[in-house]
Amino acid sequence: MTQAEETKKRGKSAGDKPARRGLFRRGTAPLLPEAGAAGAPLTAVIAVMSFLAVLAMATLLIVNHAASEWTSALRSEITVQVKGASAEDISNGVEAAMRVLNDTDGVLEATAQSQKDSAALLEPWLGEGNVEAFLTIPAIIEVKASPALRDNLDLLRNRLAAAAPGASLDDHARWHDRLASAARSGQALAFGVFLLVMGAACAISIFAARAGLAANHEIVSVLHLVGATDAFIAAEVQRRFFILGLRGALIGLAAALAALVLAGLAVRAGGGADNFLPDLRLGGWMVLWLVTAPIATCLVTALTARLTVLNTLSKQY
Amino acid sequence: MNAGKEIVRFEKAGLAYEEAPETLSDISMTLREGEFRFLTGPSGAGKTSLLKMIYLAHKPTRGRFFLFGEDAMEAPREALPALRRRIGVVFQEFRLLDHFTAYENVALPMKVAGVNQNQYREDVSELLNWVGLGDRMDAKPATLSGGEKQRVALARALVSKPDLILADEPTGNVDPAMGERIMKLFVELNKLGAAVIVATHDLHLVQSIGKPVLRIANGKVTRSAGAGGAG
Ligand SMILES: Nc1ncnc2c1ncn2[C@@H]1O[C@H](COP(=O)(O)OP(=O)(O)O)[C@@H](O)[C@H]1O
Ligand SMILES: [Mg+2]
Repeated sequence: MTQAEETKKRGKSAGDKPARRGLFRRGTAPLLPEAGAAGAPLTAVIAVMSFLAVLAMATLLIVNHAASEWTSALRSEITVQVKGASAEDISNGVEAAMRVLNDTDGVLEATAQSQKDSAALLEPWLGEGNVEAFLTIPAIIEVKASPALRDNLDLLRNRLAAAAPGASLDDHARWHDRLASAARSGQALAFGVFLLVMGAACAISIFAARAGLAANHEIVSVLHLVGATDAFIAAEVQRRFFILGLRGALIGLAAALAALVLAGLAVRAGGGADNFLPDLRLGGWMVLWLVTAPIATCLVTALTARLTVLNTLSKQY
Repeated sequence: MNAGKEIVRFEKAGLAYEEAPETLSDISMTLREGEFRFLTGPSGAGKTSLLKMIYLAHKPTRGRFFLFGEDAMEAPREALPALRRRIGVVFQEFRLLDHFTAYENVALPMKVAGVNQNQYREDVSELLNWVGLGDRMDAKPATLSGGEKQRVALARALVSKPDLILADEPTGNVDPAMGERIMKLFVELNKLGAAVIVATHDLHLVQSIGKPVLRIANGKVTRSAGAGGAG
């Protein structure tokens, strides 16, 4: 009995000892030695892939966010322009247009810009006091419209034309469409980059898994001969790649977040550009989205390795 | 004796390595439950090659081959691991995993079969004690002598209590006393029900055990001594 207990203890210590080497493993040593999956270089490449994936994802989110801010600002605003042969024509037109606007459901606010304001905008180019002498500047009325009105402007357009012949309505549709399509192409580009990075992670994983199998040919052969299934070996390789992938992915994520924070600080230090450049600040929801990039990288790496192993082994006896 | 179930049956089987001429041609033999056979023949005759076909490392290139009653040449790939788990092999070159300890090497077939460590820990320790390596359980193969490696390989072959034991020159690296002990163990395991094939060129040992002998020469297997009417 004491003999049996002693051997039991021995067995336990033999089993526990190597567990310290494998971070995520308990019991015995990993079936494939560390060098098998080209540890450090693979981790480094996965880190770079994960870094790029996070940046692509961040670009996607930033473009998305900025585009929706720009377009929603544009969408709620429409402009009525009143032209006329004389200042009097114009001010009559403005009055008529304001009456129509104030009488229309869905107009939340209508502000006529004074001629002075308009002139002030042009003075830097034409010189002080010269503006009125040169031009009869059209008057501008800025209108905040409800979404319902925004979607159906034809009636308002007709009523304005009837009340004030010099008035025309600009719903910024052209700008809106252009911004929206620019945003869409930006998003498509970022998503394309993201997919490319995933593809590259895939290719690297195939390459590394094949190299690992070749380097561990003897071990794989012995595993088969003692009765291991392909699935068992593939799971072992997948676990190895998952750990390497996770390590690399976290390094890449940390580097990418640092880069984004630095870029955000640089933009804010730039000050005046606030209204023009997209907002680079990271909201909590945005970080959550960004974390999906390294997770995807890691899963792609591990699953690809598994499939590669299964495919390679299926060709053996 | 003929009543025993068939464990191995070859019908006019041949084996050729790639482009080379056939190493084995026209192999016809049957091994039944409870039988013990020595496999002898000059070096290079194909003893290891025949064992390789049996433990499913090489597919015969022609003929028919049945293992545990199943057509091993037609069996789908997914069926092979289950067949291999019923065979314990002591490889001529040991084939221990270098990054594993002696304990882990012996435990490998159990681990691969998905058995919980609690269920085999004692068996593994006991086997290692029996082959005289109780104090070397944590040693890596690189630090073991040839004879010690051979004994680890022996323990690994026996740990899963296989139905068929194949040993390829299992006494080649151990002293005569240990060689005799190992042979006696095979005889005991055979009495307990395992079919056994031992490839060896140690004719002295063969004679001292007194079991039927299969002789390989010129790519064929012939029975040479007192086969007791089997096969
Ligand atoms: N993997 C292999 N590829 C090519 N030829 C081989 C291979 N293994 C063995 N042979 C050849 O097959 C013949 C039989 O070898 P083997 O079965 O090892 O004989 P034995 O075990 O009886 O000494 C030898 O001529 C050897 O060179
Ligand atoms: Mg041999």
